Amino acid sequence: MGVSSPDSTAPFLAGELDATAEGEDASREGLRTVEGVMRIACFFGMTAVLALVASVIITTGLRHVKTGQFGVSNRIMEGAVNADIVITGSSRAVSHYDSRLIQAATGHRTFNLGRNGSQTDMQIAVLKAYLRHNRKPTILMHNLDAFAFVATREVYNPVQYVPYLYDEELYQALRRINPSIWKSRYLPLYGYVVDEMSFAWLTGLGGFFGWSPRETFFEGYNPRPGTWTQDFQQFKAANPGGVAWPVESEAVALVEGLINVCQQNGIRLIFVYSPEYKLMQQLTKNRADIFGRFYNLAERRHVPFWDYSEWRYAANTDYFTNSQHLNSRGAEVFSADVAKRVIEYLATRSGGDRRIDTPSEFDFWQY
Amino acid sequence: MLFNSIEFAIFLPIATALFFLSPQPWRVRLLLTASCIFYMAFIPAYISILFVTITIDYVAGLYLERIEGHRRVVLLVVSIVSTCVVLGIFKYLNFLADSIASLAGVFGYQLPHTLAHIILPIGLSFHTFQSLSYVVEVYRGRQKAEHNFVVYATYVMFFPQLVAGPIERPQNLLHQFRERHTFEYEKVTSGLKRIAWGLFKKLVVADRLALYVNDVYGSPHAYNGLQLSLATLFFAYQIYCDFSGYSDIAIGTAQILGFRLMENFRTPYYSLSVSEFWRRWHISLSTWFKDYLYLPMGGSRVPTGRHILNLMVTFGVSGLWHGANWTYVVWGLLNGTYLVAGWLTRDWRDRLFASVGLYPHTVVRKAIMVGSTFLLTCLAWIVFRAENLNDAVYVVTHLLSGWNFQEIKTPQFLLRQLPVAVGAIIALEVGQLWWARATLPSALARVGLPGRWALYAAFVMLVVMFGVFRKTQFIYFQF
Repeated sequence: MGVSSPDSTAPFLAGELDATAEGEDASREGLRTVEGVMRIACFFGMTAVLALVASVIITTGLRHVKTGQFGVSNRIMEGAVNADIVITGSSRAVSHYDSRLIQAATGHRTFNLGRNGSQTDMQIAVLKAYLRHNRKPTILMHNLDAFAFVATREVYNPVQYVPYLYDEELYQALRRINPSIWKSRYLPLYGYVVDEMSFAWLTGLGGFFGWSPRETFFEGYNPRPGTWTQDFQQFKAANPGGVAWPVESEAVALVEGLINVCQQNGIRLIFVYSPEYKLMQQLTKNRADIFGRFYNLAERRHVPFWDYSEWRYAANTDYFTNSQHLNSRGAEVFSADVAKRVIEYLATRSGGDRRIDTPSEFDFWQY
Repeated sequence: MLFNSIEFAIFLPIATALFFLSPQPWRVRLLLTASCIFYMAFIPAYISILFVTITIDYVAGLYLERIEGHRRVVLLVVSIVSTCVVLGIFKYLNFLADSIASLAGVFGYQLPHTLAHIILPIGLSFHTFQSLSYVVEVYRGRQKAEHNFVVYATYVMFFPQLVAGPIERPQNLLHQFRERHTFEYEKVTSGLKRIAWGLFKKLVVADRLALYVNDVYGSPHAYNGLQLSLATLFFAYQIYCDFSGYSDIAIGTAQILGFRLMENFRTPYYSLSVSEFWRRWHISLSTWFKDYLYLPMGGSRVPTGRHILNLMVTFGVSGLWHGANWTYVVWGLLNGTYLVAGWLTRDWRDRLFASVGLYPHTVVRKAIMVGSTFLLTCLAWIVFRAENLNDAVYVVTHLLSGWNFQEIKTPQFLLRQLPVAVGAIIALEVGQLWWARATLPSALARVGLPGRWALYAAFVMLVVMFGVFRKTQFIYFQF
């Protein structure tokens, strides 16, 4: 691209030329133009091939990573999980349920399928992908959120799904939320650079050469080791009158859809509302309505609902990083509680219908 | 449409191919059509405003050539005022209303806010100034009036420089629309390289630094002095790379089509003084203000007091041009103050340097001058970037307080971004130094074609992998 170009004598500058010479000049100029265009096209073609090769390397590498979120996804897609107890939900699921602790307590293989930033539609898509590649679990604990009835507007951290867009159902689920996801599937590198700030492509390159980053996901559980942050103070300052989460019919239908998936597959579904910071509960203006819907749905569809709104540490910031997420200490305590309830549930097969707002012996157990 | 978008990546080769394949008589119309499509990709209806200003100044240019005497002055004034009124309505009306309401509030009066929020047509400030320079040059007899409306409209709307400059003078650009442009491989590849460099500046440097700057300047009270200082330094590079990157892409795009646009930046942060900075930063705007405001007011060929006034007015208006906010006005006046102070203390500084053996061409003196100019510029950028004067004062007064190296990151700019951001700045400086010393061009000339292509492809991949691809506008679009 830096080679000096041949002379580009335009015919009209050449003074008096006979028609033949003019014609020859124009013909030479045309050929040089074609040659120039071909060279430029070759360069861009070569760069496109390079991008395609890079994209393949990164995708292959990410599918070989053994740790982190990609490690979790790889185990799911390779059918290497096959758990008896799975947990689904949003970031509250990911960081609240210590699968190792539940597994150790219950003696049943446990895996956390939670996804940060996800709503019910993506959670169902991930569950379905899991069921396509793994043995169906005995129990599915689905973590509910106060915003469970809010429809998804965008895919959070879409790069986590890019290496698996070959899975048609997963791809279609993503497309329903973000129709532009086809670009990530068909345009080389698109999914790894556009709206992507985590340098996942570097992880992919490392994975291609056999390297995996430090593990931060433990059987799908991603602990939050930090202490209480300023998030809630900032939220309160921005929303002094509280917040009302929308209840959208399409999101309500999705929660019913999750119940259908479990019942069609013979999976025992349990709804769990894991701990939420007490003051945040008071700031949720339509909480009573939302929880009324949870209870009605659970009762109507015969799904146990374990509501931890009155968890004894719900007002203690030592167990939370922010109003929605437990820290690792809080997750440990909560997971132990859940494990005990699972044991009792499995023993009685009907004991999980009790709601925690009617005091049970669990409230008084010391962890 | 944005330069850093897939739409532009499709638009440019199509427009270029059609341009070179078209017969000469059609080419200007094609460029005008392409420019209309380019502009309408933003808010289509606003093209009507553009055509209003184009028509006003086209007609004014024609009549300025025909009439004589006092009527020429009147016509010039009418043309300038009507063009500026359009700019004023869309850009400053809400600002004026808010300022009056605030002032009234100080005296206890509550004025009703009846004005709807007016959206500023993109690039209005730029093509308004380009139109104005045409009218003034015709008036001064330094430019013949353009009789072909399509050619004149294309001069104002030429898509590479339509929305953020460089602000071209008619003597440089207008005649190029009548010249025959042939496909020249070297020009096209040179233009492509210029575009690639501009995209590096915009995507890899500016947009990555913006993640940090936006968080910190969005709520400066939530950050410590180290973060405020880092955000200020980052903003200096962000605005430079954003704007000069845009200019690079504009110049490169025009070069592909065979057009020459003026250079708009000459490594301004290497300036030895604020005065030199303004000869190297946004050159097309600073020369516009010099030629059409500063010099007509008398420039420096007036008594000292008047000279100072001329400088302050010029920079105050320049600040106001950048945006409808008092922060921009204060920024402009601050730069004017720098210039005045620099001019008044020049001899004293020379004596001070000489007294410690630092003569004009010593490296240490140059380093001190470059460093101090950069520092002064950064302090001024604080006012430019802050959302209001209160925030600006807060940032300035807390730059050195509460430094905590354990708390550098922000919500959008995690620690993993830091080495990339710093590396990008270093790569920028190295690239600029190599290019300025002709090290890079001569090194590339010694490498064979396969080697050069490999380097260029690697550079493109670097921009793709390290660039921030989000829907971000160029900063100067808002002006």
